[in-house]
Formats: sequence, C-alpha cells, structure tokens
Amino acid sequence: MSESLAVRGAGEARAIARVREVLDGFAARDHNSDMLTAIRRFPAREAQWAGFPEWVNGKLVSAYTAKGVSRLYTHQAAAAAAVHSGENVVIVTPTASGKTLCYNLPVLSAILENADTRALYLFPTKALAQDQLAELYDLNQRLDNRFGVFTYDGDTPADARKAIREKGHVVLTNPDMLHTGILPHHTRWTRLFENLRYIVLDELHTYRGVFGSHLCNVLRRLRRVARFYGREPQFICCSATIANPGELASRLLESKVTVLDSNGAPAAEKTLVFYNPPVVNRALGIRRNYINESARVAQEFLKRDLQTIVFANSRLHAEILLTYLQQANPHLPGKPETIRGYRGGYLPNERREIERGLREGRIRGVASTSALELGIDVGSLDSVVMAGYPGTIAATWQRAGRAGRRSGSSCAVLVASSAPLDQFIVRQPDFFFGHSPEHAFIQPDNLEILINHLKCAAFELPIAPDERFGDVDLPDLCARLAEAGFLHLAGENYHWTHEAYPADTISLRSVTSDNLVIIDITAEPNVVGEIDFSSALVFVHEKAIYLHGGQQYHVEHLDFKERKAYVKRVDVDYYTDAVRYTQVRVLELAASERGNPSVTGSEATDLNLGPPKSASAHSHSHGDVLVRSQVVGFKKIKFFTNETIGDGKLELPENEMHTTSYWITLERPLLELLSFSVSERQSGMFGLLHGLECVATLLLMCDRRDLRTAIGERLSGAAARDDASVVVRREDAVSTNAREFFEPNLYLYDAYPGGIGFSEPLFRAHDLLVQKTRELISSCECRWGCPSCIGPVGDLAPRAKEAALAILDCLCA
Amino acid sequence: MPVSADRFSRLAALKPARPSAAGAGGPRLRPPDQEDLLAQFLGAGVAENHFGEHLAIRNWYSTPEYAEPSGVTLELLSRTRDELLSRKTRAVLEDASRWLFLDTETTGLAGGTGTYAFLIGLAWWDAGGLQVEQFFMRDFTEEYSLLQEVAVRITERPVLVTFNGKSFDWPLLENRFAMTRSIATPKLAAHLDLLHPARALWKLRLGSVRLMELERRVLDRERLGWHRSEDVDSARIPEHYFDYLRGGPVAPLAGVVRHNQMDLRGLAALFGKINRMLSEPADRLEEYESLDLFGLSRFFERRGDSTRAQVACAQALASGLPGDVRVRARKELALMARRRGEHERAAGIWEEMVRDSQDEGHACEQLAIYYEHRAKDFPRAIEYAKLGLAKVKRQRAASLRDAHDPALAAGFARQEKHFIERLARLERKARPRSSPAPRRGAPGPAEPKANPALW
Repeated sequence: MSESLAVRGAGEARAIARVREVLDGFAARDHNSDMLTAIRRFPAREAQWAGFPEWVNGKLVSAYTAKGVSRLYTHQAAAAAAVHSGENVVIVTPTASGKTLCYNLPVLSAILENADTRALYLFPTKALAQDQLAELYDLNQRLDNRFGVFTYDGDTPADARKAIREKGHVVLTNPDMLHTGILPHHTRWTRLFENLRYIVLDELHTYRGVFGSHLCNVLRRLRRVARFYGREPQFICCSATIANPGELASRLLESKVTVLDSNGAPAAEKTLVFYNPPVVNRALGIRRNYINESARVAQEFLKRDLQTIVFANSRLHAEILLTYLQQANPHLPGKPETIRGYRGGYLPNERREIERGLREGRIRGVASTSALELGIDVGSLDSVVMAGYPGTIAATWQRAGRAGRRSGSSCAVLVASSAPLDQFIVRQPDFFFGHSPEHAFIQPDNLEILINHLKCAAFELPIAPDERFGDVDLPDLCARLAEAGFLHLAGENYHWTHEAYPADTISLRSVTSDNLVIIDITAEPNVVGEIDFSSALVFVHEKAIYLHGGQQYHVEHLDFKERKAYVKRVDVDYYTDAVRYTQVRVLELAASERGNPSVTGSEATDLNLGPPKSASAHSHSHGDVLVRSQVVGFKKIKFFTNETIGDGKLELPENEMHTTSYWITLERPLLELLSFSVSERQSGMFGLLHGLECVATLLLMCDRRDLRTAIGERLSGAAARDDASVVVRREDAVSTNAREFFEPNLYLYDAYPGGIGFSEPLFRAHDLLVQKTRELISSCECRWGCPSCIGPVGDLAPRAKEAALAILDCLCA
Repeated sequence: MPVSADRFSRLAALKPARPSAAGAGGPRLRPPDQEDLLAQFLGAGVAENHFGEHLAIRNWYSTPEYAEPSGVTLELLSRTRDELLSRKTRAVLEDASRWLFLDTETTGLAGGTGTYAFLIGLAWWDAGGLQVEQFFMRDFTEEYSLLQEVAVRITERPVLVTFNGKSFDWPLLENRFAMTRSIATPKLAAHLDLLHPARALWKLRLGSVRLMELERRVLDRERLGWHRSEDVDSARIPEHYFDYLRGGPVAPLAGVVRHNQMDLRGLAALFGKINRMLSEPADRLEEYESLDLFGLSRFFERRGDSTRAQVACAQALASGLPGDVRVRARKELALMARRRGEHERAAGIWEEMVRDSQDEGHACEQLAIYYEHRAKDFPRAIEYAKLGLAKVKRQRAASLRDAHDPALAAGFARQEKHFIERLARLERKARPRSSPAPRRGAPGPAEPKANPALW
C-alpha cells in the first residue's frame, strides 16, 4: 500500500465505508440495472519515488524537507531534469499530483543560485494565482525571504506596483494583465525582462479555442519583447489530461516542447458511477429531472457527513442546486453555514472564505460551476456529483478528480441529463472509458485575432522588416495597417501611429471586457457580485430572478450606461430563464458541394418558382457568417415542477459576432418530396439539427458549448441577392410562419468571434455526420421523439421524428 | 532666508540685453535644405549628432520676465509633505540657471511604449527673458538624435519645471529613453510640477485649471505678450502630426510649434505668479480673490505650513466667501485652531456656524465634544448634541424625500447613531450619582466621590 494510503486515519477508512453504503443504496433501488449504467473502480496506485537532483540548491532542498517533502515523485524529478537541461516542457498530470513542485523546484533553485534571475507565472484566473502565492510565501519564509514573489493583476494596488516591478523574482499574473498591463509598458519592467529566464504556463489545457488563440499571440508578443531585452525565456507548462498536450503546447509556444506524461504520484481508490435518472414516461422519453436527481444523490452523501461538491454546467443550475441543498440542510442559528455556492461572479474575498471553509472542513457541501474544476486548492473531498455531463471527457475526469485528491475514500457520480450527448455517454459507457479525452484546438492565425495583436505588437516595439508574426505575410499586413492609418513606415520599420492604446479594446476572453456590478438595494446599497457584459443580458435583465448565494433577487433596473444592475431580495417559488433569438447571415462562402441527385431537373423547373434547380436538391457548405443574437424575453419557471408559469418580453441590445459556420441547405424540391405538413416538416428540421449537433460534438471531440446551431431561411430564388437568411424561431416555425415553402439552412457555427476551426472539418466529415445522425435517431427507442434524439416531444409537432428521418434519407441517398 | 552675494552675481549674469541668435547655447545649427519646406516654414535649423539629425527651433522672448524664486516658494513647491531637502538638492534648486521648463507634444495621451513625443520644448531664463528651444522629429527615424539632445540639455539644467509633467511628460520621456537601449535617462535634481499647486490654488474659483484657463483668468493676459486666439486645438495635435507623416500639409504643425512655445512661456509666467503668491506677506493678502485665498490656505495646510494657512483662511473669510465655501472655510479654520490648542477660539467659530446655518451637524458635534471634554459643561454638551440630532434627522428626511440618494441618507443615519450614543453617554455622566435608582452592585460608597464641581 502506498505511503499516503498507509498513513490514512481511521476516520477516512470509515468514510470509505460510508461511500460504499451510498453506492449500495443506489444499487438496491436499481431494479432493472438501467439506472446505474456503469460502476468503475480504479484501484489505488503506489507512489514512485526519486531523490532530489544534486544540482538543486541545498537551501531549497532543506526548505522542502522542512515542509515534509523529502523526496520527489518520479515525474517531478523528470520534469526538473528536463527543465534543467534547457528544454521547453509540458507536464501532463491529473489533479493533485504535485505539479507545482515541477516548476517551483527548478525556478527557485535558479533564483537562489543567481539572485538576478526572474520568472513570470501565468495562470488563467486570478484565483489560481492567489492560491500559488500562498504556497510560494510558505517556501519563501522557510528560505528567510530570499526572493520576492508577488501577484500582479487588476487588484494590485497602484502604490505596490513599482516595488513588484523591481523586486519581484517571481511575478504571478494572468494573460489579460500581461496583455494590457505589462507588455504595453515593458519599459517599466526592464529589470524583469532583462533577466527573464522562465515562463510558467499552468492549466495549459484551458488555453484552447478563442482564448488559446489569443494567448498564442500574446506569447508571440512576449517573446518579441523579451528578445528586445536580449532574452529567450524557457517555458514550463502544466496541463490536465487532454488528447494532444504536446501539440497544443508546441502550437502555443511555436517551438519544440518535450512532453512528460508519466505520473509517479500515488492515487487512492476511486469509483466513477454513471447514473441515469429513471424514465417516468417511456412514450415521451421523459426521465426524472436530472437537477433534482443530482440534488438527491448529493443529499445521500451529505446525510452521511461526506464532504461533497456538486458541479453544475451553468450558473443558474449551480444556484438552483444550492437552493435545494440548503433547504435540505438548513442553516442552524449560531452555527456556520455548511452548504455554499461557488462560481465566477462571487466576490474574491467570499471565494477565498469558501475555499478556506472547504479545506478546514467547516463547509460540508458546495454547489459549483466549472470554476472549481481548475486547480484551486480546496483540500480533499469525499464525493463529487456532476449534474449533467460536463461536455467533454477531459472535464469529466477533471471534475471527478476533485474527490479524494490526497487520500482514499472517494466517489464521483455523473448524473445524466436527457440531452443526447449525456444519454449517449451513459448508455454507452465503453465509449467514454475507451476514448482519449478531447483535442484542444487553437487558431492563432485567425486574421481578426492576429491583426489585433499585431497592432499591440507595433505599439510595444516598431516592427522590423525581418520579423515574423504567425504564419502570415507580415509586410503585406503591415502595409494594409499603414493604409488604414494604424502604422507608418519610417526607415525600415513600421511604427504605431494612432492615439489609441490598442490592448484596451481587445479582450482575450469575450467580445467585451466590461463587467457589470450587481447592487442589492433592499436596504443600504450593497454590492453582491459582478457579471460580464454578455452574461448580463441573460441573467440580470429587468424582472429576472437572479440567484446569488442561494438568495433570490428580483432585478429592478439594469443600467447599461453605468454598468450596474439594481436588485432587491425576494422570496418567490420560481426562477427565470431568458429566451434568445438568433439570426445567421452568410457573409462569404468558402466551399460548397451539392448532394447526390434526388430530384430531376425537369421536375424542379415544373414548379415554376425561382431559378431552375440543378440535379440535386440539397447542398452543404462552409464559410464566414454573421450571427446576431438577442435576448427577446424570458420565462418564469416554477421550482421543483419546472412548469412555465409566465413569460415576458424584453428589449435588449443585440449582440453581433462574425464567425465561421458549416451548414446544410435543403431546397424546395427535396422538401416537396416529403409527405408531411408544413409544421411537421419544420419540426423535423429542428429535430434533425438537434441530432446533428450532438453527433458533431462527438465527431469533433469538442466541448458542446463551442458549437451552436440555428436555422435560417435561404430566401427562395434569392441567389442574386446573396444568401441572406431570415431567422426562424421554433415557435414561429411551428405556428405562425406557415408559409408553404421556405428553403432552410441548418447552421452549425463556432461559438467564438472569428471561428476556431470547426467548420471545415465538419464540411469534410459531412457524409459521416449525416450517416451517424441517422443512426442516432433511428436507433432511439422512443416513439415520437425524445430529448435523447430529436429533442423533447413537447416542443415538436407529431411525426417530427419521421420527418427528420425522411430528410436524412434524402441526405444519405 | 538671506540672499547671498553669490545670488546677486548670478542675477547680474542673467540680466544682459537680448543675446545674439547663436548665443542660445548648444551646437551650431545647419540651415535646412531648400526643399525642406517644413523646416523653412518653422524657421528651424538642422541639429546633428552621432545618432543622426532632427530639427531645432530657437527663440528668445522678453516676456515673461525673470522671476526671482523665493526660498519659501521653493521649499513649498519641491516637497510633497514636510520632509526636508538635502543640502545639495537645495543648492541646485536655488540656482535659477539650473532650471529647465519642459513641455512635450505627443502622439497621444494613452502613455505606454507606443506613444511618442514628436516635439519637445525646453526653456530657461536667459538675459532677463526666456530662451526657448524646441526639438522636432521629422519622422520616427530622428527620435534618437532628438532624445540625445534633450538628455544633454537636462544634464546641464537638472531642475525640471512642468505642468502635469510628473504624471505625463516625464514618465513618457523615461519610456522613450528606455526604448533606445542606448541613451541613458538623464538624472533630475528636482522636478517641480506646477499642476498640483495650481489645482490647490485655483480649482475652487475656476473649476478647470488648464494652462489656457489660468493664462486667461489668473495671469495678466494683457502683459503676457502672446495671445491664443489662433491656437490649435490640443486634442487634434496627434492628428496633425500623423497627417504630416503621411504627406499632409505642414502648416498645422507650425501651429503646434507655436502652441508649445506659448505653453512654455505660460509655464514660466505661471511660476512667477505662484512664486509671488506663496511669498506674499500677510498684510498684502487682502488684494487677492477670497476663493484663491482659501485655496492658498489649503495648499499651505497640506504642505505643513499651518501658521500661514490660518492667516490665509482668516483673510479669505474676512474678504467674504460664497455660502458653501464659507462653511468649509470655517470648518477648516476651527479645526486648525483646535489643532493648535486654541479650543475657545475653535468653539467660537463653531458657535457662529450653528447660528448661521440650518444644517450644521458637524459643528454641533464638535461643540458637544468641546463642552463634554474641554469645558466639562455637560448640560451645554447635551444641548448641542440634541440640536445636532434634530438637524441630522431633518437632513436625512430631506435627503430621502428630495434627493432620493440612499448613500447620502445612510451617511446621515450613521451621524444620527453617533449623536444618540453620545447623548446616552452624556446623560449618564450628567445624572447626579445620588439619583433615586442606584445601580445594583454599585452601592453607596460611590456617592460621596461624586464631584460637585460638575454641577
């Protein structure tokens, strides 16, 4: 038995027994064994040890020994050796395997050997940097404060900044601060850049999609500035398990990276359970609500005093779960609160307090969003409940890893929703357990992103003729920026010639970098939280019920100009859910392919509408699109029963996004072949899109939030007027918009401005996508359609499933 | 501070009549090429050093006239609090020939590494007037040679006088020097930024303390010797430069150069004005505007000269101040008196305030404190606490009714709470110890100890 398991106290052994008790309880209720679709036990693994390398500074070895670390895990020793030999490395390890030592050891040793050495640590969030700061403070104290370590972010007081720039050997920051606060002011950081030897990128797997594409460009700028001061820093990266850590790292760093993925850390026994809520109506394919079920499962653990974390996939669900769990575990007067919420939007101090409460065991249960998925230190928890599939295999393992971080006795339960992806995962567990986690894609040469960073780069240093910046024709881009008035060629170099400070207008994460504060005006005004601009439209529109810390607030007034939302505490039995309205317009067609002929040309011309159709009546394409979306109203939904008890209209600003999309066009002749009513046909299309989306996320192995769908009408005979599409809302399609024919485009688009490269792979995989979607829908046992294939039947016309299958038959023909 | 013989000799050296054009110091300028329209237009010469060349424009002006800085002024301007200056610094500071007025024109206000100073204007006292020298880069390639020249000038005259230079011009130049990686940032002996005193002195009266506004309303515009009627709009300066870089017209740049000259001369004139005001004897203060005097008093107070602060504040009140400022001035005067231990005088001022004003919770509170702790007159203290409570209550009601300002109301609520606590304490203190309901557990012996003097 491994050392850490051997020293485990008797109390934890009892915890194992209680976990088993809960699992046995589930099994006893599972008569048809279709509830627990998988129970996988992962045995404990012993630690593999290595000694400290001899080049490590003796004082550092003593400091670690005093902390109780007298030898290293093999992967820590391997990482240290690779860093020492000057390689860029990426260390791939699961949660709680001592990865911070992998970078702290070589970096601090180098600083102790030469006090001029400087290192920059980048974390994706401020909270993670704070967490690491505590660890480094502790080491530093044992080393008589020989080095300076500071966080530098938006919260750093102005009067402390100068000292940090001069005295910080290790500066902990985030990509956003590097982008707006450090690089454009690099002359203030001369001391750091002249001695910059190491750059640490923790949680590398979070840098994918648009964020990763931005980060890659920020790193281009960082290396450029470092080169100006004569430095080529070395990179040390840490990543959770994803399919392609080496590829991601070398794309981000644009140089060779050594991958270290063996793990010498011990692991405790762990059980991962798939839980499918029981079916309550087989005909309609309705299962028990997974949020309620998750709360029940979590309560089983809490009842036995097992410290539990419940993960929800949205802020709203996290708050609903918190409400349920707080009701089940009422806050006793005079006692600390045992159940808390955790998500972005809670104020930093509140979050620190919750993290501490979890570590110290005061807090027994926490309902969280993905915010706790990252390596924030909250100690070891006994059990994890995931309300819904987190969207990716990697994130599922990440969340499951929150249980039993340090010792044994852990269990993770995935409670499936009725979404197709969830159902696919829990019904075919072998797919999940047999597949590698997802790939992380980035598209750093996305022109929109790259040009923005090129502007920042020119602001930081004039662009010299022999420079490279990504895989683009730099002289040509510079010439274009000069024409637009941003740059000016003087001698050989391009200089920034604009009054603006370009980094200020570019957010690495979302379209706007603005935050709104949420102010409780029930009594004396009091700031209860913050929310980013685009989420604000969804969560704090007027009349919304905003949930924060389990408390309901009614939004009285949303002041966009002042960036404030005024709320009042209320106690009602419903919550609100925003209704979004999305419109897609094709801007530029990259490629298009017609499907197999299914209708003859003569038949098409007979219809005497629009230009004659060519041989086939459907096509698939990819290209650039403009997506407009707007929150147009909201629904009031009753707690526990989830019935809609009211709705309202809203007038809110529109969001616009340029992105890339893949789409299928269904032309009139194809539709005419189908013997369905207009509304059945339209329902069929929505159902088909529902299925396509599910299969597409599986094929791409991407996060389902990275891809969105919409149906737009390709105006009949509008070829000359380009592919302008009008939006079709589901409600409209089914009821009011009962025109006989409209030729729809079924869009699957990248959920990020500029796109992150899913459209072309989907276009290429079109045949497979259509075929697999047909399999998904035709093999589903439901009769009329269900959430697991074409969507919940309540929203669809009868025969929608048939219609969807008929369209698929045409597409596959 | 005694004026040394040495200073008189320096003064004499500054006095001779206007020097010849070449006497401006610095290296000889080469006349511009025939085709250099800009240089012709600006009347500029070409300066050269081992980094390359740039344009230099030199002018001498008889106004503003040289103003001898007083020791007191320098002391007040150069220190931010009441720390003492080193002897060496003081010596350089007092030597007016080491002063350099500086003002830059830049490609933007954002700061950071991508903002350039394309025109750097310098000026110093010479021959009783002002010698102005401006360096202009015709393109980014000329930046290094321009900075090199500026570094030489600053090394010669290391006391910088600017308007907002501490937060804008100087950090920007530090950036520019750092970006060269070859020209060291010159060391300053001192940096006098006139924005801060100007804000203290005139913000109250003028609202805005932009240099142009000060020229118009504080300095004697008629005697300045220039006028701003055709001045360029400073917000458009970066645009003019960018236009020129892209082959646009040179005429607007002449406007920019002239604007920079006027700013430098305005800066020198402003220094003279502040210098005079700060060293004015008490009996001459009444010639000043009362609002400026109140500003002066606050400036003195902030820089640790409380004696003169009190004099200026009293004079401001005597000359008459508008209502809301009068309240503030009295408040400050009373607090200054209290700080100096003149408690009766402070109480007198507060009593005046209570008589004159409807809403004076602050003065009531101060009087309650005064009578409780100093005069030991509890009934008076209670009287003022009750009066204060009534006033604050009325204000809170009004703030909720008229202003709908919950934050303001919350402030009044806090004040109310303090008054109520104070009243409770005062009444406890004032109650005779022989009252009919003696506290349990504290029997008899306390009674004889009660001090009859309190009653």
